[in-house]
Amino acid sequence: MVTEVVEVEGHIIDSLILAKVLDAILAAGADYRLLDVAIGRTSTDTSIARLELTADDDAHMAALLVELSEHGANKKAESDAELVAADEDGVLPGGFYATTNLPTAVRVGGRWSDVENPEMDCGLTVTTGGRALTLPMHRVRAGDRVVVGLDGVRVTPPERPRGRSAFEFMTSNASSEKPKGVLVHSVADRVRAAKEAGGRLVAVCGPAVVHTGAAPGVAQLVRAGWIDVLFAGNGFATHDIEANVTGTSLGVPLAGGEPAEGGHANHLRVINEVRRFGSIKAAVAAGWLTGGVMYECVVRDVPFVLAGSIRDDGPLPDVYTDMVEAADAMRALLPGVKVALMLASTLHAIATGNLLRSDVETFCVDINQSVVTKLSDRGSHQALGVVTDVGLFATELAHQLCD
Amino acid sequence: MSGLAWGRRYLMCPPEHFRVAYEINPWMHTEVTVDPDAAMAEWMGLVATLRAAGADIEIQPAVEGVPDLVFTANAGIVSGSQFVPSRFRHAERQPETEHDIDWFEAHGFRIDLLSEDVDQEGAGDALPFGAGAGAGGRGPVLVAGYRFRSDAAAHAQLSKMLNVPVRSVELVDERFYHLDITFCPLDDRRAIVWPGAWDRFGCRVMEALVPEALVLEADEANCFVANSVVVGTTVVLPSCPPRVGRQLEAWGFDPVECGINEFLKAGGGCRCLTLALDVDLS
Repeated sequence: MVTEVVEVEGHIIDSLILAKVLDAILAAGADYRLLDVAIGRTSTDTSIARLELTADDDAHMAALLVELSEHGANKKAESDAELVAADEDGVLPGGFYATTNLPTAVRVGGRWSDVENPEMDCGLTVTTGGRALTLPMHRVRAGDRVVVGLDGVRVTPPERPRGRSAFEFMTSNASSEKPKGVLVHSVADRVRAAKEAGGRLVAVCGPAVVHTGAAPGVAQLVRAGWIDVLFAGNGFATHDIEANVTGTSLGVPLAGGEPAEGGHANHLRVINEVRRFGSIKAAVAAGWLTGGVMYECVVRDVPFVLAGSIRDDGPLPDVYTDMVEAADAMRALLPGVKVALMLASTLHAIATGNLLRSDVETFCVDINQSVVTKLSDRGSHQALGVVTDVGLFATELAHQLCD
Repeated sequence: MSGLAWGRRYLMCPPEHFRVAYEINPWMHTEVTVDPDAAMAEWMGLVATLRAAGADIEIQPAVEGVPDLVFTANAGIVSGSQFVPSRFRHAERQPETEHDIDWFEAHGFRIDLLSEDVDQEGAGDALPFGAGAGAGGRGPVLVAGYRFRSDAAAHAQLSKMLNVPVRSVELVDERFYHLDITFCPLDDRRAIVWPGAWDRFGCRVMEALVPEALVLEADEANCFVANSVVVGTTVVLPSCPPRVGRQLEAWGFDPVECGINEFLKAGGGCRCLTLALDVDLS
């Protein structure tokens, strides 16, 4: 298979030139992907479409290019990316190329190299060995060769799978009006498929996972080996531990009944005890913590990152209080992750979404549809939302995957 | 009715050096000789007919060695005081351009050049149509033909230089190598059309653009009926089949036949011999 990029400009919509070009490509037995179309603002403005062509071999491609050039669609001259050395640590050169989370390639010395770790909102660097890598701003070191401008950078846009996929019946990204049982079943199928293919699963949990009674389901998923990485904050870990040590969540007994006397302080006492042990792992080793999601992570060696925030109580000794360190710790655990389950989490879900490649299947479960929208608005277009109570979802998912 | 908004002032070039010196379209055969006296008489007849219809005629001097200079429609595209000279596809006609630029410069036009990597043969492949079809429902669109003599890639350039929306139409029959043998705007809504020379996409574009079309039969199109000149409500045709004449009259036009048989030997009709100087696309 050979590919080429062509560009066609003009009143290509009203003149049906674009339709004709696409028709000609398919008639020639080749295929295309519309890389982008800039539609003119007024009827006088011209429009521009960029197409990536795929043909069986060079001969077919050459014939197709001749035909398309007759309709004004010509090969776009390709140029190398411009590389500028960073002049100080932690600062990208002006005009740096800002990344997306989509598969990206960089052209240097006439050769295209795939970016190894797509991540949004970073710079792009090309090592002297020719490796193309995303580079978060704070990791820039003086002398790093950073891509500047748009030339020589190729981004593969997202494509909804053409074949049958779990969500092909969904037309919207969020699903408040879809039958939940079917959705949970579909998510379970996708998780199974990803794990069978050797992919890893990251779960991102908000405190509501504990309040809604979803924690036992999540703990079961950790115990059964479905969850490989856990991201959360001080709140989730604290409530999970509180629930298992005192049987309450923010002082309210999870088994039902009146708020416990002085229960509002339960979570503070729990944090205080864990701080005395020095870490959650030490609390487990001492036999003080004997169940729950954090317990299962410790005993099963499932790595977790707890990222703090300014309103945290305590925090727990395991919590990262430096946000840049927290994001780096999360980054380090993401290679190999193919599925992300965002469970009733807004801030950590968005933080994780920022770090994920666009091809990670992302399921965002929240009772509030706006969380799903927020995630998409921040560039995680691959997120599919399941609008439901996370307690029901996690319990049902654990049931489907573990029983 | 007032007829066509433009087309009251034309540039024409006398056929002093006209002959079939080469073959660059299926109508041209070098073994066919042009009768110079007959050609001059027909050309003078066309000038007189257009003047009688109310048009002003400007004369471009003939130049030896460029026999097709007589086909002024291919000199370029006029819009207001702007002139975009042609980029001829065939080397035989390329020497015409310097003479065209000379004339337009001498007459106060601003010259804007297309890039050298595209071909575009002037009004022969670009005709304005419709008063309300252009930007924001105002002004005309430029209907532009391509494939045999002009490149589609030139259309985006034309649109930007002339600030006009373009409708590209692919020509598929080599006998109809220029748009102006297939399309003749009559007024803001009506046109003579020969869809047999257009690809299916072009047919759809033109169907959407022209509310009332006089659709030619193949034999009518072969007689260059679409290569006519409109002056107000007068339509000057190289030949006028009865059916076409009746329809034009029914619409309120006054069809006038003006034989230009000597020029048909080179594949040109009445329109090819004229270039409207009063077109304003903006």
